[in-house]
Amino acid sequence: MPMLLLSRKSVPTPNDFTEVQHALHGREFRAEELPFPEKRLKEYVNAGYVSVRHGIIPLNENIFDLLTGKKKWLCVRCGNREQESFAVCSCARCGSKCVYCRHCLTMGIVRACTKLVTWCGPVPELRLPEDVLIGRPLCHWKGSLSSDQQKAAEALLQALEARESFLIWAVAGAGKTEIIYSALEQQLKKGHRVVLATPRTDVVRELLPRIRAAFPDIPVSGLYAGSKETIPDAPLVISTAHQLIRSANRFDCVFIDEVDAFPYHFDAMLDYAVRKAAKPNAPFIFLTATPPDILKNAYLSGKLRGVMLARRYHGYPLPVPRFQWIGNGAHAACKGWLPYPLSLWLRERITQKRQAFIFVPSIALVHELTELLQRSGYTRIAGVHADDPHRHEKLADFREGRLAALVTTTILERGVTVPGVEVAVFGADDRVFDDRALVQISGRVGRSGDCPRGDVVFFHNGKTLAMIRARRQIEQMNRAGGFK
Amino acid sequence: MRCLFCGADFLKPLTFQTVFVLDDTPSFCDTCRGRLAAIAPDACCRCCGRDLSLLESTAVKHHICQDCIWWKHSGRNGLYGTNNALFSYNPLIKEMITRFKFRGDTALAAGFACDLRCAFHRIVKKGSTWRQRLFMTDSSQFVIIPIPVSAHRLRERGFNQAEVLAELIGPPIVQGLVREKHEMKQSKKNRRQRLASRESPFQLNKECIHLLENKKILLIDDIYTTGVTMRLAAHTLIPAHPLSVDSLTLIHG
Repeated sequence: MPMLLLSRKSVPTPNDFTEVQHALHGREFRAEELPFPEKRLKEYVNAGYVSVRHGIIPLNENIFDLLTGKKKWLCVRCGNREQESFAVCSCARCGSKCVYCRHCLTMGIVRACTKLVTWCGPVPELRLPEDVLIGRPLCHWKGSLSSDQQKAAEALLQALEARESFLIWAVAGAGKTEIIYSALEQQLKKGHRVVLATPRTDVVRELLPRIRAAFPDIPVSGLYAGSKETIPDAPLVISTAHQLIRSANRFDCVFIDEVDAFPYHFDAMLDYAVRKAAKPNAPFIFLTATPPDILKNAYLSGKLRGVMLARRYHGYPLPVPRFQWIGNGAHAACKGWLPYPLSLWLRERITQKRQAFIFVPSIALVHELTELLQRSGYTRIAGVHADDPHRHEKLADFREGRLAALVTTTILERGVTVPGVEVAVFGADDRVFDDRALVQISGRVGRSGDCPRGDVVFFHNGKTLAMIRARRQIEQMNRAGGFK
Repeated sequence: MRCLFCGADFLKPLTFQTVFVLDDTPSFCDTCRGRLAAIAPDACCRCCGRDLSLLESTAVKHHICQDCIWWKHSGRNGLYGTNNALFSYNPLIKEMITRFKFRGDTALAAGFACDLRCAFHRIVKKGSTWRQRLFMTDSSQFVIIPIPVSAHRLRERGFNQAEVLAELIGPPIVQGLVREKHEMKQSKKNRRQRLASRESPFQLNKECIHLLENKKILLIDDIYTTGVTMRLAAHTLIPAHPLSVDSLTLIHG
């Protein structure tokens, strides 16, 4: 008997302790996918190092639910509370009917009987290269900040000292990424784990080489679907919000680039994922050109610290979009007529040797318009959309000037910098283009100091409120920046 | 309505049924439906239910494909009769079956409930006389047996995909077979390895033998690939003395 008692009370030895700690820290596993046998888990739970919780919990928000007895659920892993995406199955593991979440199936099914395991013991030390400890500068970025950027960077550093959240509200092309370099350096020197979350794979792919070049001594991990550049437990992680669902309680500081971009905006799950990945009380730094109303109001009423940058780093105003009526462009394109104003605009761009983005509202229209333009004699034109397997190659071709124009859906609306490009929005009255999207699209133009001006034109079939709001917002920003 | 697979909102076409019958069984949208390759019952192989229009005409003799002719000559058919399949294997159904079977999205199967029930009625109709049909005595002759999975696999996956499909068709379901041995997944083997297996992984469920005697048996599975599983299952059922053994699968691939 004494033997039995002893073995049950035995504390995990330090040796396998670190192994489990590294495997579990900052991540949330389903009990069945643990990298070690489930039996060992019990020791750690008893020792208080590992916490276990149910995957799906009942959610009773108000008295009506209690009265009607209607059951509602919440997926703890992805934060899904949309009752339509829960389903019931007979489960062989627990031997009864089990609810499961259909929302995060791709990461392994979470049933009501599934247990989610995470580390809650001491945080493992970050293994950093020697240089960092000696105190050499980490940031090897050679460029210089404009005075506005410098002020913003200092304000950000102060906010981070106080561990407070911060909003960087900067017009497109103000150089947001450069502003955060000093803050990143400060956080990394303190030995914090930092994540830079963005909504889109394209943005991660663009940011990764830039950040790696700026911080050559630090292992930088890039997380996106199909990524081959992941480094386990890297101090600096650049990730799509989607990939953070598996993380829990991991980061001391979270930078969110383009807070208002499309997936966040629509998918509460990603917001939940980012919040879960951060430690409690971790400061959030939001970077955006078009803050959503919640953040905007919090900033304007002084609840949220922040800074507004209304000038681009090169000191030129934002190009203001002009509107041009074109009739029902989508209909015309389907019929095989190329609308004359678009054709004229494109010909002008080609004679001026300027490259052009043509934004369209749907994937079907990308195909139609690309084909139509190619048939009309514009040869160096390609179309890209989210499902296009060659989109990275086409974008690379465009950057190197082999393509004169790129027909695209809203996937290229942000995070893409091509110097000297001009923009047309074909069918700007479509619902897809809300005011934020239109502001972002206009922000593609004139980003480099060499050609700070350019044409932005919205081809429409009747002005929409979104278009007018977008133009007004750009004009406001220009006024705030001291132009006119 | 929300599409079970792609999540898009769609409207069911306005018919008398959709207007007057309160029906909220989940289903797929028209786009997803259109991308599925349904097999027409009159254009399929009489034995394995494969879509003959996908084959070259030289590989087909008297509405029977070459694989089935091979099976006939091999002498391993035994009691086994015919297979009925609903869809041909294509990228979309592959994606659906991965989500259903390997990721565990059992709700997806409900989208096929209607097709499965229709197919079941067609099979019942085909094997009965008008007199039986009139007095509705025939369907009681049919017994549905889902192809079992091993206990290990059941624990790993949490459910038996054949059973989920069988439950959509409804009673009389009998767990006539059990699978005791745990094997490599069939989907990880190649064709030759599959055809080489002669030893049945199934055993008869002793408690249910009396339910199977003189009954027509319909085996249910998710996919028919080479037909080995079905024939081994039919072979195992011989001691129970069924009238016939046929099968119904969601996919032929």
